[in-house]
Amino acid sequence: MSLWVDQYRPRSLDDLHYHQGLSARLRSLAASGDFPHMLFYGPSGAGKKTRIACTLKELFGPGVEKIKIDQRIFLTPSKRKLEVNLVQSNFHIEITPSETGNYDRIVIQELLKEIAQTQQVDLNAKQRFKVVIINEADSLSRDAQAALRRTMEKYMSNMRIILCANSTSRLIAPIRSRCLLMRVAAPDSDAMSTVLDYVARRVGFDLPPDVADQIVEDAAGNMRKALLVLEALKMQSPDLSGNLSIAKPDWETYCHKVADLIVQEQTPARVMEVRAKFYELLSHCIPPTVILKTVAERVVERVDEALKADIMHWAAFYEVRMRVGSKKIFHLEAWVVKVMSLYKQFFYGMDLTGFD
Amino acid sequence: MAVFISNGLLGGGLQKEPVAEPPTSTMLPAFVPTSLLNPSEEDTSTPARHVQPLDANQILPEPQASLLDTGTTTESRTFVSNGLLSGAHPGDATQGPIPETFTLNTEITPASRSFVSNGLLSSAATIEAAQDESPKTSTTNVETTLPSRSFVANGLLSGTTPRTLPFPMDRAPQASSSTLRFNVQARTFSGKSVYIRKKSKLLTNQPTNQLSGQKIGKLLDVPIHRLMDELSAATAARLATLPSRETKDNAPEDTLLVDRYRPRRYVELIGSERVARDTMTWVKMWDWCVFGRKKGKKRAREGDEELYDDDEYHRPRDKLLLLSGPPGLGKTTLAHVVARQAGYEVMEINASDARSGQVVDDRIKPTLEAGATIGSKKPVLLIIDEIDGATGAGDSSATFIHKLVQLTQQKSKKKRNGQKNGPEVKKPILRPIICICNDHNAASLAKLRPYAYQIRMSRPADIHTVKRLRTICDAEGLKAETRALGTLVGIARGDLRSCLNTLQFIKSRSDEVTEAMIRRATAGTREADNTISSVLNSLFSPMTRKRVKELGLTEDQEGRYISRLSQEIDAVGKESSIATGCFSHYANLRQLDANFSRYEKANEWLGVYDYMTSAMYSEGEFALSQYIPYLLIPFHPLFQERGSARVERSQADWEHSQTRRTNEEIYKSLAGCIRIASGKLGGSYRQFMSSPVLETEFAPYLNRIISPPLRPVNSQIVRPEERTLLTRLVSIMASLELRFMQERAEDGQLTYRLDPPIDVFVNYDGKRAIDIAVTRYAVRHLVAGEVETKLTGQRVDIIEKSKPSFRGFFGSSDKSNVPSRTRLGDDADAPPSKRIKVDLADKPPTDFFGRPIDLTKITIANQAHQKKHATKCFKISYRFAEGNSAAVRRPVKLDSFL
Repeated sequence: MSLWVDQYRPRSLDDLHYHQGLSARLRSLAASGDFPHMLFYGPSGAGKKTRIACTLKELFGPGVEKIKIDQRIFLTPSKRKLEVNLVQSNFHIEITPSETGNYDRIVIQELLKEIAQTQQVDLNAKQRFKVVIINEADSLSRDAQAALRRTMEKYMSNMRIILCANSTSRLIAPIRSRCLLMRVAAPDSDAMSTVLDYVARRVGFDLPPDVADQIVEDAAGNMRKALLVLEALKMQSPDLSGNLSIAKPDWETYCHKVADLIVQEQTPARVMEVRAKFYELLSHCIPPTVILKTVAERVVERVDEALKADIMHWAAFYEVRMRVGSKKIFHLEAWVVKVMSLYKQFFYGMDLTGFD
Repeated sequence: MAVFISNGLLGGGLQKEPVAEPPTSTMLPAFVPTSLLNPSEEDTSTPARHVQPLDANQILPEPQASLLDTGTTTESRTFVSNGLLSGAHPGDATQGPIPETFTLNTEITPASRSFVSNGLLSSAATIEAAQDESPKTSTTNVETTLPSRSFVANGLLSGTTPRTLPFPMDRAPQASSSTLRFNVQARTFSGKSVYIRKKSKLLTNQPTNQLSGQKIGKLLDVPIHRLMDELSAATAARLATLPSRETKDNAPEDTLLVDRYRPRRYVELIGSERVARDTMTWVKMWDWCVFGRKKGKKRAREGDEELYDDDEYHRPRDKLLLLSGPPGLGKTTLAHVVARQAGYEVMEINASDARSGQVVDDRIKPTLEAGATIGSKKPVLLIIDEIDGATGAGDSSATFIHKLVQLTQQKSKKKRNGQKNGPEVKKPILRPIICICNDHNAASLAKLRPYAYQIRMSRPADIHTVKRLRTICDAEGLKAETRALGTLVGIARGDLRSCLNTLQFIKSRSDEVTEAMIRRATAGTREADNTISSVLNSLFSPMTRKRVKELGLTEDQEGRYISRLSQEIDAVGKESSIATGCFSHYANLRQLDANFSRYEKANEWLGVYDYMTSAMYSEGEFALSQYIPYLLIPFHPLFQERGSARVERSQADWEHSQTRRTNEEIYKSLAGCIRIASGKLGGSYRQFMSSPVLETEFAPYLNRIISPPLRPVNSQIVRPEERTLLTRLVSIMASLELRFMQERAEDGQLTYRLDPPIDVFVNYDGKRAIDIAVTRYAVRHLVAGEVETKLTGQRVDIIEKSKPSFRGFFGSSDKSNVPSRTRLGDDADAPPSKRIKVDLADKPPTDFFGRPIDLTKITIANQAHQKKHATKCFKISYRFAEGNSAAVRRPVKLDSFL
């Protein structure tokens, strides 16, 4: 028995609850026998991976569900060992090259060549090709993407690639042009309520509509999050009655606290306080870009209209720097100082530059 | 005192006028013969002695007269035993009766000035003699005078050895000077009054008086530093005009000053006396072991015995001595001097030798085991110089440090083992080892430190260094002003070696040492010790006034900080630590920054720094590294603050990275759990493993899912809805292999800990999220038991599942088994103690009498019980070598397998 989010995951294209048009298209693609490389993209929790799994089942039949997980070790030119987890069935293989950081190029090159050069031996297989699923394709390094691009053309007969990414912006154009782009949009609230209802029915309880609405609102289009919240809620207050509060993840609450601190007071002491909180968040392995985004959104909610654009602009500015640089805390603090300065200038109604 | 003087004088005088001797006091004959009759016994190696007869002759007539007058030996003896050896006193004592016999000593050299202010006869003797005699005398004089001082008192009181007396004596009349003021009246035992003069002050700055006399009119116009400059110029000029009293100035220089004036005896050492004494004490502690003698009786303090730590060889507890301190303070010299003084032969291993672990085996061990070097009777003492450069940082056991520690520590143990083996008893190390290093915090020394007695040398007070330099200058015939020497010491930061080298450099060109020359000679000297914190301090505070003065910078030069700071940062070479230090410190400063403009700038620079460094490392563009220091310098103009608190290196960043690492490990193990779960259940759990989802969604919600509000009640009387909740919780935890592990906290309380401890992810600032109730001990106990049962069951399940054909036969029974097993677990998981303890469930269970019950035993017993049941519940089938045609098929009873 596992978590609901996994237990009631749709297994075939027919089970999918929303984006029926997309499902139909995938079904016809799978049936056509002319399956292209594909790039699934869309926000987190929209159902990309579920859809990929369903498509695979449509392509190869239930055999794809028999998977095994193992580790492969790759050797870098500098003799460092890289461990990569592989999930594979007879018909497909699934990798997350970003696990290896900078060395993803080696994984891509070696693994894909190896797969591409062996033909499908199972004569009963529905398709002559194998499928390689590359998760988190948007965090592939440029080298790795470049390595991918020739392989995709050359070994087309033996292999199809399905990329899965949050956005296409960080994929190089040649890759994008070689794939069929599939956008999996976040479900709208009706679709989400339907799914929640469906899960509740399957589990065997009644989900009050107002609770469902609350969850849907909180999840903001993230189906996985909605289901996790639902289960947490059901676990914590089994009868789902009375005054329910949707639990936010702790890091999010904490980020909001940080945002409040920034808005309340703009002093050096406060800068230090905020810094300590950022350290705490970072040490919980929350990605710094997520921290910056969450805090910035909260700050924007709480300041005057005139400041909003500026704050977001600087958040974007420092996010870029953060991605390029290596000391995340420097850039987080730089943003905080910037915001405090902006806020003060706004508060006193004038530009204080030159008053020191 | 009179006796004392007469004796001294007569020692020299008698050689010419033995007739004058008899009329002195009755005590005298006892002295005279020794000094007179054994002239050969005298230490002729001290050139000062040669001066003595001459001087004594000069002033012989007067003291003789005084001697004849004062017939009170008892009085004089008390005087001496007072220990007042001030140069002026002997004269005073005699002046009482005949003041007019003394002439004023008007010629005042700088040396005599200092001598008077010190009031110490011995030092005066040193300097005077040094001026008079060849350079060699200065060092030897120090040796002889120090003992001679104590000799005087002894010699007078016991009347045995007046041998050294003449030496101080010949100085006494010369030194006695000027004014005859009787300030203090004292009475002797016999009731006679004696007048003791206060120390004279008038001899101090005659030149200053002249100068101020000239300038008195416009004293306020001229700033003091200009006056000082003029003064030093004047002194230098006067020194230059003084006729050189050098006789054998131009001796060939084949040695460095540093070597020539290296202290050779314990008493010549300068610097903290405590350090020297500590070192000596430690070396002396080996005497018991090395020379086999017990320590002197006078030192029989309690606690001494502890230092030996029951060692059968009477070795001290710390078998190594670690001497640390900045360069040039004389650590190596100290070690050598102490070793020699304590009677050891020194064996030195320094950076010029190979210092791999092998050296310990090849060179050190044989020598130490032998106890002495070849051809020497003295025991050996090992000095390992510059040990911080030796190998030792890694965990490898082949490093120098590791081997060294092994050598000193594991001997006794090995010996004990060896005794069993009989003949091949290894000899323990019975000789002291002194290790010398600059940085006692060096990573390579980490292993050594616990076993070593650590002594740290620090910079001695400048005045001592200056004094020693002055002695050397005088001996070398360099005319040096004190101020110049002070500057030199300041620039070198107390590094005596570099001072001497600079002096030698100057000497090669001229005989004068002025401040300007020193400035020129030391121009461009790199700062000696740069640490991260020193760099941070110079970034955040302007140069101290003192340092500016030491370096003699003008205001304009002081303002130019960029090259100075970039050099400092570059010298340390740890830009990232410095950047982190800057980052952690800048917001602590108290400066007013109304609109954060300076903060913004600082952060801008930090951002650029980060941008550059990460570009440098990721692209391999190491040509950028030379620009990196400049990116941190802007902190100086932005944040420098005079008198701000010293920069403490904040640990926040490091601590953060440590916690981060632990948490990453926990995430990894959680991911491992997920992988197992998805492997086992065939689900798509693996999709939670991807990085942002795991941390931001899965971990927080999983924590909520596994902490339902269960009441700590007996599982038998639990309500049906809670029962479903419990079953669900247990199945989730079991599928993810999350467990509650029993642990004993520090206070002895039993607790259940989640494993892997994913509950840290809902703890921020050490506080738990509000909406997650803390599960109580009893609940956790309940759940833990259930999970264990479930997991055991699963293992059996897996065995079953791996046999598909079997499953086909017994599929139905398998399903029916699941609930039955759960029920069984529930029944079993009701230890009798729990029935009593329902309400106080927070605490670990105790029995009726309040004694704690060992739950583990019960649980284990339960589990064993369950397992037995579990095995009974299942039908077991065995397949033997399935598919192997070579197998022999024959009927076997089940009993033969069990």
